[in-house]
Amino acid sequence: MTEPILEVRNLCKRYPGFQLQDVSFTIPRGCIMGFIGRNGAGKTTTLKSILNLVHADSGEVRYFGLELHAHEQEIKQRIGYAGGAVDYYKKKRIRDIVSVTGAFYENWDTVAFRKTMEAFDLDQSKTPAQLSEGMKVKLNLALALSHGAELLILDEPTSGLDPVSRDELLDIFTVLRDRGVSILFSTHITSDLNKCADRITYIRQGKILASDSMEAYLAACREAEIGATLEEIMLHHEKEDFREKLG
Amino acid sequence: MKSLVKKELKLATSPLSWFFLLAAFMTLLPGYPILMGCFFVCLGLFQSFQTARESNDVLYTALLPIRKADAVKAKYLQVCIFQLLAFLLMALLTALRMTVLSGSVVYANNALMNANPVFLAFALLLFTLFNVLFLGGFFKTAYNIGKPFVTFIAASLVLIGLAETLHHFPALRFLHSPGGERMGLQWTVFLLALIVYVLVTLFSEKQSERRFEQIDL
Repeated sequence: MTEPILEVRNLCKRYPGFQLQDVSFTIPRGCIMGFIGRNGAGKTTTLKSILNLVHADSGEVRYFGLELHAHEQEIKQRIGYAGGAVDYYKKKRIRDIVSVTGAFYENWDTVAFRKTMEAFDLDQSKTPAQLSEGMKVKLNLALALSHGAELLILDEPTSGLDPVSRDELLDIFTVLRDRGVSILFSTHITSDLNKCADRITYIRQGKILASDSMEAYLAACREAEIGATLEEIMLHHEKEDFREKLG
Repeated sequence: MKSLVKKELKLATSPLSWFFLLAAFMTLLPGYPILMGCFFVCLGLFQSFQTARESNDVLYTALLPIRKADAVKAKYLQVCIFQLLAFLLMALLTALRMTVLSGSVVYANNALMNANPVFLAFALLLFTLFNVLFLGGFFKTAYNIGKPFVTFIAASLVLIGLAETLHHFPALRFLHSPGGERMGLQWTVFLLALIVYVLVTLFSEKQSERRFEQIDL
């Protein structure tokens, strides 16, 4: 069995009023994993923790078999992150942002970047402020792909996109997966996962409820009569919690 | 480090920071508290931090394959480059006032601080305050710039007030000398200020490295 591209073991982070508890999941190579949960479930905190932007209280994160803290620079050469439509340096020309960014990566490929920009219909003389939300996500993706990232970590990349842009983006994910790139993307939109995810990790109130292949998870939920689709399953769990709170 | 400094200057620096470097020319203003020029240079630098925050600069930097400590060093270098440019300009203009313009009528009977080595010493001390109070304060959160800048404003106004007051005491009149007399003492004051600038900035940078490592972004 090949080594997983990302292993997260027992990640814990405590905030006043919220905590991540023993978050664990694994992403094999060449796989799209949907990280699903409702707003405030802990998706962004988890993603930030596995990027060392947030300091976990305990737990272990390994990329390519390498421990994150001991090999952070090496790992960041091989992964890419895009936080949805977050725009960096929105008043600077994309060309200038790219010329600065490329210098940090050993495997930066200017030709690949230009091709991706053309494929995404992005104009380098524009500024991020002049791009639509969908185009901003594509720009972030193009930046991540141009240093040969083996794993893309995307925080809610489809939020705020129109249906056509969302569909395009999911098609891009599938093409990338076929090229051997692994993708971990968080979302609260279940239909995103139906289209392209191979695996699913479901987080609820800071705890991992399930982390399995899509097929196996859906089959198990059908058998337990929780629901036949991801939407039904999610509604079942979240409404159960809501009813408990109402007493 | 070179790529990071390039990133700071090309992406994270506001055009206003360059524009405010012109405040160094306030060194030539007669009958004016010329240390305010340094304050305006720092105000220009503050604009860059505001621009950087709006641009998600810290997050962008933290995601790059670099050491977090280097990100802090690059920010300090960015600030020090501007301070050095402003200082060189002020030093040049001070030399002009002390030589070619020394007989100028507009500078005769100047009640406020003269441009001399002591002025340059106070300029360095003012930059030191910016580095320790504003930069050091910024790296407590890597986000909040308001409180550290207000603290810097208060401290710098006290320093400017002190600089404008001290030379009125008879024993400290040498601080005011526009050239010629007591230059040895003036250069000693300058040298001490230079040492303070270097040591305190280095200390502040190391402290910020430690703080930045611990912050959740």
